Amino acid sequence: MTLTLEVNQLKKQFHDKSILYDLSFELHKGEILSIVGPSGSGKTTLLRILAGLEAPTDGSIVMQGKNITDKKANKRNVSLVFQQPLLFPHMTVKENIRYGAKIAKKDLKKTDQLLKSIGLELYADHYPSELSGGQKQRVALARAMATEPDVILFDEPFSSLDPKLRQEMRYWVRQFLVERSITSIFVTHDIDEAMIMGDRIALFHEGTFQQIDRLSTLHEAPANAFVARFLGGHLVIDSDHYAPLSSCYLSASDAGEDPRTFEAAVQQVTYQNGQAIGHIYVDELNEKVSLPIKHFNHNDRIKLYIAKSMIRRFGGSHL
Amino acid sequence: MKSLKNRTSLLLLPSMLFLLLPLYGMVAAIHQSFSVNNQWTLQNYIQLLESERFVASTIFSLKTSLAATLISLVIGLLLTRYFYTFLERNTPRLMVWLPMLFPHFVWGYMVILVLSETGVVSQMLQAAGWISSSSEFPVWTRDSQGIGIIITYVWKEVPFVILMLLPVYSSIKSEYHDLVKTLGGNRWHRFKTVEWPHILPVFIETFLIVFSFTLAAYEVPALLGTTFPEMLSVLSYDWFYGSSWDDRPLAFAAMVLLSLGVILLTAAAYLFLNKKRWKAMRGRST
Repeated sequence: MTLTLEVNQLKKQFHDKSILYDLSFELHKGEILSIVGPSGSGKTTLLRILAGLEAPTDGSIVMQGKNITDKKANKRNVSLVFQQPLLFPHMTVKENIRYGAKIAKKDLKKTDQLLKSIGLELYADHYPSELSGGQKQRVALARAMATEPDVILFDEPFSSLDPKLRQEMRYWVRQFLVERSITSIFVTHDIDEAMIMGDRIALFHEGTFQQIDRLSTLHEAPANAFVARFLGGHLVIDSDHYAPLSSCYLSASDAGEDPRTFEAAVQQVTYQNGQAIGHIYVDELNEKVSLPIKHFNHNDRIKLYIAKSMIRRFGGSHL
Repeated sequence: MKSLKNRTSLLLLPSMLFLLLPLYGMVAAIHQSFSVNNQWTLQNYIQLLESERFVASTIFSLKTSLAATLISLVIGLLLTRYFYTFLERNTPRLMVWLPMLFPHFVWGYMVILVLSETGVVSQMLQAAGWISSSSEFPVWTRDSQGIGIIITYVWKEVPFVILMLLPVYSSIKSEYHDLVKTLGGNRWHRFKTVEWPHILPVFIETFLIVFSFTLAAYEVPALLGTTFPEMLSVLSYDWFYGSSWDDRPLAFAAMVLLSLGVILLTAAAYLFLNKKRWKAMRGRST
């Protein structure tokens, strides 16, 4: 089975600054990959390179078995959905969706089908200024799909929506892509969004993927301290060792015999899903963790107990 | 709410009073154009339309100002399109806008100094040995084709076109260009779908301003034109200040027709830009 997308040893430098290095991954047909990482880390640059809007300094991009590294954006079978919907304001919803398909001389019946599937048939002849934020982004998605691309790239497409709508759109878009088995890459800085959208998640930091795995693998076997900290389910003890938060206790008796002990302070107590959560600062490790907490309050000094047998070494499947 | 409305109209009063003056002039001109010996008549207009001089002048005026306007718009558009990031900086922008500081009359005089048969360029070409006498230099000023007028206007209006288009070009999001690329579009598609719809309203507006100005302004054609065919403004001036007073109503009638033409053109542009598509372009849904 040929891979839909194969990225090998991608590098990008601006002047002397390295934005991407040794970035490799592959995507199968119908797979959705979430790329998550801190803002300003170069995720957008990666997408722009994949779309052909920027050239990589080194490395190759192979799509459907063909090397497209030197192909211009308008000759690549890749669509990009931007942060803003960027609909053409002087075109109706229908004209917007048809735009790319018309240039590519694709069957326009299919684009009318798309209009139906995004649930905006009644708005076919409306102009973008008459649509809500969520509707606009749906039209932008339909327009990106109308060219029948091999891969659709999403660059934080929901960041301009309000939180409730954003949540709805995540599920809607995910289902939409899965039903049609559309290969896609979804970039976000929000780990929750990455978890909802992706079949696999790539953690992007300092110009490369720190780990790329299914969600469960990421949690069970983080590759390094960055991954463990970013996901937030572990206490990082040193650059080689960590302990899952599920094995960190606030009383010595729960942690079994001869536990390791860390001094800590409760910085803040908040509630999540009806449960009190303590935001705890571990002085000795200079680490912050969040744990369910019952008897303690703001500013209390506490001790954290971890059974020695629960302390693990980093090194899940690294790429 | 009613009292508020009244107050707004009160605020308009001073400017309305001020406008009375030109309004009186206009009404008087229209009145005179329709009267002979204090009798209402269309005679002036009939005489005007039958006058060969007027018809030739109209055709010449339309041709000259249309050429000047379109050339200015195209050059202004190209300069803005290719240099707008450069023009956003202060010094280049001021340099481009420099011709706007001079009155049209001064600019016309400068064109004569530079481009007439005995002008600076001609003398430089003679000195360089490219031409042997000033008679070999083409007639570009006070010519029957209106070339001098067109050159003066283009030189003067290109900066104005840039002034109008620059803010529009700066406001176009570069992501739109990327978007069209990812949808398979080439350079032409990018211009057609991204730039053109953005600039169209301002483009039309600028066309109207430059066209109606060049069509009716007096000083440049008076300085750089010939006696036949002459621009409408020069002809009207002639009729107005001519030896006999008999031609005065003709001058009024000519100017009234000119104004009517400009008003109709503006109305057509207004109706076009008020179509739903172009309203939507400005983010308005109704």
